[in-house]
Amino acid sequence: MRTVLQVLIIGIQNGAILSLVGLGLALVYKATRILNFAQGEMATVPAFAAYLVMTGFVVAGDPVVSKGRLWLATIVAIVFGALLGILVNMLVIRRLTAVSPVTSLVATAAVFLFFTSIEVNRFEAKLRRFPRYVEGGFRIPGVNITVEWHTIVVLVVLGGAAALLALFFQTPPGVALLATAQEPFAAELQGVPVARMRSMAWGAAGVLAAIAGLLGAGKFNNLQPALVTTTFLIPAFTGAVLGGLTSMVGAVAGGLILGVTVAAANQINTSFSLGIPGAPQLATFLVLLLVLVFRPSGLFGQEA
Amino acid sequence: MADTVLADGALELEPAPEPDAPFRPTPRGMAARIAVLAALLALILAVPQLVPAVYVNIVTKAAVYGLVALSLNILLGYAGQVSLGHSAFFGVGAFGAGYALTKMQLPWGAALLMAALTGAVAAVVLGAIALRLRAVYFALVTISYGFVAQETLFNIRSLTGGGAGQPAPRPSLFHTDVRYAYLCIGVLAVAMLFDWRLTASRGGRAIQALRDDERVAASWGIDVTGYKILAFVISGMMAGIAGALFASIEQVVTPADFGFALSLTFVLATVVGGAGNRWGVVQGGVLFAVLPTLIDRAHANFHIWPFTSISITLEPAVEALLLILTLIFFPGGIAQQQRNLLSWLSFKRFRQPETGGGPARGGMGARP
Repeated sequence: MRTVLQVLIIGIQNGAILSLVGLGLALVYKATRILNFAQGEMATVPAFAAYLVMTGFVVAGDPVVSKGRLWLATIVAIVFGALLGILVNMLVIRRLTAVSPVTSLVATAAVFLFFTSIEVNRFEAKLRRFPRYVEGGFRIPGVNITVEWHTIVVLVVLGGAAALLALFFQTPPGVALLATAQEPFAAELQGVPVARMRSMAWGAAGVLAAIAGLLGAGKFNNLQPALVTTTFLIPAFTGAVLGGLTSMVGAVAGGLILGVTVAAANQINTSFSLGIPGAPQLATFLVLLLVLVFRPSGLFGQEA
Repeated sequence: MADTVLADGALELEPAPEPDAPFRPTPRGMAARIAVLAALLALILAVPQLVPAVYVNIVTKAAVYGLVALSLNILLGYAGQVSLGHSAFFGVGAFGAGYALTKMQLPWGAALLMAALTGAVAAVVLGAIALRLRAVYFALVTISYGFVAQETLFNIRSLTGGGAGQPAPRPSLFHTDVRYAYLCIGVLAVAMLFDWRLTASRGGRAIQALRDDERVAASWGIDVTGYKILAFVISGMMAGIAGALFASIEQVVTPADFGFALSLTFVLATVVGGAGNRWGVVQGGVLFAVLPTLIDRAHANFHIWPFTSISITLEPAVEALLLILTLIFFPGGIAQQQRNLLSWLSFKRFRQPETGGGPARGGMGARP
């Protein structure tokens, strides 16, 4: 019982961040039909911007992070994230001559490579200390398990973001955004400013990514180049596909389910001393495969 | 028409041929082409001798990357399937060869065969999955597949030696760096010949028909399932052989060599080279194999701006920029930029008519 609860808590801790990244992936996919491989770096780069604000723009050595500036850093990171999303769309995605979904995936993968390279160049492949909004945790009485306050913060932010997005898609601009994804030409004829709508979607995805970057780095208390991509992106994609790539609720549920599945796989691997290397990657791959083969539209997707 | 005559005349004074007659170069044109081709061949063969000894292994790596690009091109350029997990096939070949050489004590030729076989098996597994999925989702699966190969498969200690790696000695006849470089260039040449015959064959044309439209291909009576699997088998075999050659460059294989970054590099090399064109993709592979060294050397030796700021850590950024610029301006990659030159070298007119596929046919831009 205690083990099950522990797996659940570890799973949700991880899964909540996966959901947050997945929410951004789902938003871009729903609005533009593009799988955005750069989502992880759109999170890590603003986190580095926040880091710079907190250290007073000092990189060398191991500068002291000032937690007092966390809120200022948050605002900077979010604005930076929005700009980054809009710029990626403006400078790369919109200019592709071929509009095949695979081409745009490769292009966004190149964007990931570009940002990672810049991060390594500026900040070196080192761990940098990164604060949380609320440190510490609380004990669940009886079972003697600690839950971090950070997890609660992530869950609250996640719930808020998902609810806002789900509501947004019920409003006229939200419906217009959906229309641009499904029939860009028809939407244009109906007077929807397609280019501006897409730009807005990328900006919103950038904001979500920035928040995911801040909370993801906070989870580890550390930040390093390509952090969000290497630890969260593939599972986040899998979670979003599991939930149904076009559903906001699905992205949240999928990320949480995947987080718990991976934690369970890890636990089983250690409990029964199976000694399977890379159990999390294997579990993620199997979930992705099973979902795509048996239920490609995911748990909550309508038209994936 | 006058345009064509002018362009040709500037080079070799050819009379405008009949529009319907197949083009034949004049004797002078023929001689010029053969001379240029011979010079190119001589240059390629001289490279392992010309470069300083420390760079010979880079030349070998370039030949291996060229081979991988050819392999990926069969999926990306011909069959229209993306593989963002190509490091899996490549790594499976490398470890397959290492296992055959070290654990089974097989001769090098047998190890190469083993690598081709394991590469093909790894590819068929993925191919079977590809049959069921839409292209974008399949791309996701290939990425995840690459991660599983690196984290799980390549870390099974009894098969791969785990983190410490598996030794993969070179064949005794090609033991020195220079000889080994020639061996790898030789294998690349054979693979290009094979690729050339493949695209001219029925099966090769069937595979290319899949790229353009699977349903149309099926309506022509092409066995879509069979040819798709065939494309994966051929691609996996080539990647496996490339992996075996790669393993014996440093003579040891470790799981850390085969990450997602490598898969991504292969895709970028193939796209920048010009998916669908064998000369283009091989050049792409070569370019991406030597790029880190080029950037590192330029950074160390040239003391003027861009080179002073572009250090080795920015090499991936250069790769990424190359890809994005290619996708925006030349979707047909290097092959598209060299369109006229490649056409001239293959004994056709220098300037190709705009319609009717030139060498840059295919490419990322031509895909539906």
